[in-house]
This record gives sequence, C-alpha cells and structure tokens, in this order.
Amino acid sequence: MSQSLEAKVEFEDVLSWIKRIGSDSSSTVPLLQAVQSKYGYLPRAAMDMIIQNTDITGSQVYGVATFYSQFRLKPVGRHMIRVCHGTACHVTGADRLDTSLRHILNITDEEQDTAENGSYTIEQVACIGCCSQAPVLVIADEVSGNLTGANAQRALKKHAKKNEEIVANI
Amino acid sequence: MDVSNLNVIVGEGTCGIAAGSKEVIEAFQKHAPEMNVRTVGCVGMCHQEVIAEVNDGNGNRHIYGNVTKKTVPQIINFHKGEGDLPEKQLIFSPDDQDLDKWRYLAHQTRIALRNVGYLDPTSISEYEARDGYKAIKKILAGMTPEQVIEEVKTSSIRGRGGAGFPTHIKWNFAKSSPGDFKYLICNGDEGDPGAFMDRSLLEGDPHNVIEGMLIAAYAFGASKGYAYIRAEYPLAVENFGKAIKDAHELGVLGDNIQGSNFSFDIKIKEGAGAFVCGEETALIASIEGDRGMPRFKPPFPAIKGLFGKPTIINNVETLANLPWIINNGGEAYASHGTEDSKGTKVFALAGAIKKGGLVEVPMGTKIRYVLEDIGGGSSSDLPLKAVQLGGPSGGCVPENLFDTTIEYAAINATGAIMGSGGMIVMDGTTCMVDLAKYFLGFTQNESCGKCTFCRIGTLRMRELLTKICDGKGEMEDLTVLEELTEQITKSSLCGLGQTAPNPVATTLKYFRDEYEAHIKDKRCPAAVCKSLITHTITAADCSGCSLCEMQCPVDAIEGQKKIKGSYVIDQAKCINCGMCFEVCNSKAIIVQ
Repeated sequence: MSQSLEAKVEFEDVLSWIKRIGSDSSSTVPLLQAVQSKYGYLPRAAMDMIIQNTDITGSQVYGVATFYSQFRLKPVGRHMIRVCHGTACHVTGADRLDTSLRHILNITDEEQDTAENGSYTIEQVACIGCCSQAPVLVIADEVSGNLTGANAQRALKKHAKKNEEIVANI
Repeated sequence: MDVSNLNVIVGEGTCGIAAGSKEVIEAFQKHAPEMNVRTVGCVGMCHQEVIAEVNDGNGNRHIYGNVTKKTVPQIINFHKGEGDLPEKQLIFSPDDQDLDKWRYLAHQTRIALRNVGYLDPTSISEYEARDGYKAIKKILAGMTPEQVIEEVKTSSIRGRGGAGFPTHIKWNFAKSSPGDFKYLICNGDEGDPGAFMDRSLLEGDPHNVIEGMLIAAYAFGASKGYAYIRAEYPLAVENFGKAIKDAHELGVLGDNIQGSNFSFDIKIKEGAGAFVCGEETALIASIEGDRGMPRFKPPFPAIKGLFGKPTIINNVETLANLPWIINNGGEAYASHGTEDSKGTKVFALAGAIKKGGLVEVPMGTKIRYVLEDIGGGSSSDLPLKAVQLGGPSGGCVPENLFDTTIEYAAINATGAIMGSGGMIVMDGTTCMVDLAKYFLGFTQNESCGKCTFCRIGTLRMRELLTKICDGKGEMEDLTVLEELTEQITKSSLCGLGQTAPNPVATTLKYFRDEYEAHIKDKRCPAAVCKSLITHTITAADCSGCSLCEMQCPVDAIEGQKKIKGSYVIDQAKCINCGMCFEVCNSKAIIVQ
C-alpha cells in the first residue's frame, strides 16, 4: 500500500456514540456499527476506547467484530464497492463483475481488496435483495443492476470521474 | 394540453433505484416541472423497472414500464396531446386494461403486498387512506386478545419466514407464559440470498408491518418490540424509522394507544450481516449484543427469550398479513389456499425468468403457473431446467416436478422447502454442481461454528464439491456427500445446519447425471466450471475489434487490431473468467 489508510480516531467521537447508544452489553453491535460507519472499518484505537469506557469486555468487542460479516478490521479505500453475491447474482455472473473491477483497479494480489492508490475497496456481500436486476453492485451508496463486466467498469468510471479518483483506462 | 393537473408516480424501491429511477424522476422534473411527481415503493414488477404511472387523480391511469430518461419526453408529449402513445412502454391504460404485461399483476392475489407500489411509504396519511390502522383501532374499540388470537387461528396462517409454524399457537405459548413484560421481535433479517419480499414490504409499506406488530403485541401482551432489519437494506431502515416516528405522532404507537391501556413501542435493531441470525435464538443473542449463536431449546423464546423475558419472533410477511386478516376476517383469508396451507404466499422470482419480481399467489398454485403464466417462462432461448426454492436451506425442484402445488407438505416431499419464498429460476446455463458448491460455500461461511458437524461437515462437503468442479472428483465422493448429508442434518442444533446439505441432496437426487459428467467425463455440461472449460476464438467470426484483448485481465489474448481473425487466446494464461465472451459482439468466442 503506497499510502496509509489508517484512520485517526477522535476520542470525542467515540464518547459521543457511547453517550447516544449506551454502554451496556446490548450496545456492542450498534457501537461498532457507529465506528465503522465513520471510519469504514474498526480501528483498534476505537475498540480500545469502547472497552475502557463501557461495561463491554474486550472479548465481547472482538468476538462480535469477528463474527458479523459487516465488520472489517482492515482499513478501506476512500469509496466502497459492494458486489452482490446472492444466488441470482451468482448464476448471472457476479464473478465477472469482480474480475472486471479488480482489473480496472489493478488489484492483482488475491489477498488484497483495495486499490493501490487507496481509491476503492471491493467487498463481496451476501444478497442485497435486488435479485431481479442481477447481477448488482453498489458503489458508495448507488445501486446499479443488470450489469455485465464491461458496464460495471463504466459505472465505476462514472463514479470515479465525479469523485476525482483515478482508475485504469480500459 | 395542460399537464399541471397530472400526477406522476415513480416506483422507487431499491430495485427501481438500481434500474435508474433517480434519472427518470429528474427527467420528469426537467421536462414538465408543472407535473406533480411523487414516489412509491416497489410494486414488484422488477422486470419492468423503472415504472412510472401518469394519472389525472380521477382514476385514469397510464402505467409505463422500462422507462428511461430518454423515453420520458415521449411520455410527457403524449399526455400533452402532442405525440403518439409510447406503446412499447405501456403496461396499463384506461383503454386497454388487459395488456399482456399487466397480467403479471392481474394473475396475482395480493394480501401481504396489497399496498406496495400504491402508496408513498413515507406518508402515513396514504396508508390511512388505504384502510391503514383500521384494524388496530377496531381491536382497541372492542376485541379482547383472545378474540384476536381466535381470528388469526381461523385464518390458519403459518409463519411465513420458512418454518411454517402456526402463528396463533406461537402466540398462545407467550400469552400463557408468566411475567408482565414480554417482547415482540419482527424478523426482518431476510438472509436467504434470492429472497427480497421482506425488503419490499419494509421499504414499500412499513406502516402495514407496524400495524401487524401492534396486532401481535396486543394479542399476546407484549409491551416492547424490536424490528431486526438487515444492514444490507438501508432504505428499509430509513423508511421504517420514519414510519415509527409518524406512527407515534398519530398516536398509534407509544403509551396508551388511542386512549386505551395498551402501550407498545418499537425500536429498530440493524443486523450486522449473519445469516444464522434468521434463527430465533441467534437473533435474540444478536440483539443482546453477543455473537449470533443459536442456543438450546427449551427453554423456548416464548417462555424465556430476549433478556430472559417471554419473546415472540414473527416474520415480516406474517405480520404484513395481520391487518388484512383483522379487517376482512380469518375466514376470508382461509378461503384462499388448500387444506394443508391456507392463505397466500409471496415469492421472489429471479434468475433466468422473463418477468422477475414479486409474486403473491394463493397456496395450492402450481409452481409451473408461477413460472410460466406469471413469470413468462425462460428469459433465454433455452428451456427451464430447475427452480431453487428456499435459498441455502432449500433445494432444487427439477422441471418435471413443476406441477407440484405450492403447499408446505407437497414442497417438502420434493426435498426442497417453502422457505421464505425465494425462487431462483435456472436454464441450461446453470451448472447444478456449481450451484450446490455455491450454497455450501455460503452455509459453511455462515455456520456459527457451534456444532462440529455443521462447522466441519459443511467444509468437507464444500471441499468435495470443489474437487468435483475442478474435474478431480471420484465416484466415491458422491457416497461421502450422501453420508455427510445425513450426519450434518442429524447432528446440528439449529435450522442452518439441519438444512445446509439440502441443496446437495436435491441436486444429487435430480441431477446426478451432471455430477457424473464432471467426474467420469471431466466435463461441465453447462460450461460453467472453470477447470473443465476452454475459451477459444473462431477465426472466421472474429472481427478484429480488440475488445476481448482490452478486457482480458490476464493478457491472455493477442492479435492485430482491425485484422479479422487475428485474435488468439493463450490457453496457458487463460483463467476462463468469461470477460471476452461477454464483450465479443460478433459471437466469435466459443466456450466448451
């Protein structure tokens, strides 16, 4: 990774979420959701702050963070691309959306999911419930359906242009 | 002609948005700012998205499908009296109410879905105008909880989330449970890939679900409710959240509803992505802030559930039927369906089907009717091969069993399950072994890890299926798969594990020939499994356009631009991803 994508965690932010959501054990999931919606992942520092300032234990925070597929422990790019891998998308070519997007973002290492320039992260998600428009993907919060690999790239290029991000030119 | 008295209604569920509804709305606002544009939930005709209705407020409706920003001016011009009727887009008009496209809806019986696509989900007054909150007011004006349960018993509705447990019996368990504080949970954790009816209901008719929760809560005596909604459904969370707020303001939610001594409030809990949380005890663990792992039953949640209190968990679709049942009577509901299964069921049609979307039909309807008469049959030139019912817990029903009626018992007899209602339709381009591998990959990934057979058994099954798809399978592997099927089913605590082998069991039962082709002939009949296929370019058909070369992610294709027939695929580099096949306009790429 050419630049660090690690987020800088503000103590005040975490405290305000604890104040709003609560500090009992049943607040674990919503607290982590608040952290992730701000930073795109769960920075270690934010989890430590939760443990120190609530009744939630470290094992519970880590247990929950590693159980649910929504939570990530690794930093993400500036924008998220979520490729749906529900059944309908699987049988209509969700694989090709992954291939074509990884190609245009030049992500060649199978272990990686974020472009070298920190622009986009590709995530595979379970069904987003738009099965009749399969295959479907979501860039940031824009849903596009009935895609081929080539027009998935087109959708990404359009988003990149609007957000001044650089993707490979194919 | 002046069009300022005309209303434009655009369907804006997630699927409408995916198809481009935002652009269509912008186009209407740009070309005819005098028209009154508003949005509604998804009517379920996903194959026609984006759908726009133009009406004069007096019942004269024109409904158009496949609307794009380019066709909007044509629609506006027609209504201005300045152009021809856009016939290609027309689904319904006052002059022609029997168009083929409209039959998709006309052939359905809509009870749970009665409002979606007809009202603005963010407007409580539109819900009220369609008999909204009438049922709960009727109840509070003079029905005892016992009478409500009796009415629901008469309707014979069974839980629509998949298990099909009679709703009134479940309620009675919690009602007779001691304790003055009880919980109701609305299960909107629609985790089955391929099912989206709950999303549509939560997004498109949230007040109906809230009213259903009120009815259930009143019946067994709950004072607090949770709506557990998948995080993957942001629009559902947004619309449902607004609906809760508006219901409070109207006085149908909160303390002493409608001046009675019935109090009930609802809080949204967003799921965090775990299929197993569709299971009741796992869902409870998740709300309590733990890893969503199932717990032993008994004690059943109706006795000791959320935070140790008696808890009932009802599925979104079940709840969405309740206001209708109270308003129209249990008998009216039970008049639909069969002896075994009463009422209607919503299905989500997708895959290789011409008209995908949401379909609500009476129980007892034949699968074939849903697929062919409503769904319009195969979307390709190829005949339909099978339909997958019930997601990862379900099974594949082959074409020769399409005359099976939709009833709990009849569907179970095929090896599939009713499930939550996902129907993924497949033609010859779907490999059944790959599909089984896909589902096992899903359940293995989603297994919470508590039970050994589920945790490791599904992994072993997935490994065997991968081996077969890679062309390295042996006939003995099929025997091991069958053994594992039995063991995992018997040795798992919850529904996830007990049903995880179903996709393998049914494909092995009905499509054994495909497994054998992979093993004996090292061939994938559907040309899907990457290790068993090759991509080649037929020189005679190649136009030399270079699109395939540009799209190849591994630089396996070389040739000279603009020289016909010059492109060749280097088989040593090719990963069979299919990108070249997809972009080739001259159909020069052969997959076999």
